[in-house]
Amino acid sequence: MTVEKKECASCGKTPKWKQDFPIEWEGDHYVTRREMVKFMTLGSLLLAGANWITAIAGRVLHRGSKAEREIGAASSLQQTGSLLFRYPTDQDPCIAVRTQEGKLVAYSQVCTHLSCAVVYNKADNALVCPCHHGIFDVDRGSPIAGPPTRPLPRIKIEQRGDRLFATELEA
Amino acid sequence: MSARTQGTTLFTAILILVATTVVLQLWLLTVSTEALLSGQTRTLVPAAVGSTLLLLINTCLLRYVFRFDRDIERE
Repeated sequence: MTVEKKECASCGKTPKWKQDFPIEWEGDHYVTRREMVKFMTLGSLLLAGANWITAIAGRVLHRGSKAEREIGAASSLQQTGSLLFRYPTDQDPCIAVRTQEGKLVAYSQVCTHLSCAVVYNKADNALVCPCHHGIFDVDRGSPIAGPPTRPLPRIKIEQRGDRLFATELEA
Repeated sequence: MSARTQGTTLFTAILILVATTVVLQLWLLTVSTEALLSGQTRTLVPAAVGSTLLLLINTCLLRYVFRFDRDIERE
């Protein structure tokens, strides 16, 4: 190091090794344990902030839809046991089911495992995903067998005369 | 043992504690992001509250470090 400096003192140029590694030794002293704790606390602040942003984003993005939409006739549901419709947009397939107890329930048709469309199996009284044999409880929409771990999003249904209306997507 | 030597040992322990809480916060953020993308919003606020509590612990530890340094300088 001193040899290099001596050589360059005569030529007046910055030595090549210093051009390649422009690190000042004085800067190293700043990175002490105390500085590390400070940086980590700052990182902690950023992570807590990011967590709150995620929480707020969750509130905003998954607020649930409350737009009302007519989905079909109740009589058609009694014939087949299930009725396919789209809610809240035309890109969201859903399924309404009249359970064996006569209760009217509706869920998103998109399987929470890998997004295949679930179908109603009247014999087992369950919603079944044919792709990986995921089975959902028809009363609550919760997974009871197969790979899915999360329940199907539920849709509130209202019956007015013979007409059925989807009124709310529960997030 | 002198106060400075004690401080070095203490700050190493504090550093390890802070690093552990930061890792926990990272894990919480990962879980929150996954929950957000899968539409499970119930876990988001508790995770954010947990992360804030960990931040408070870190802030208290940092404050302790500053106080310790101040006391050493006075001596």
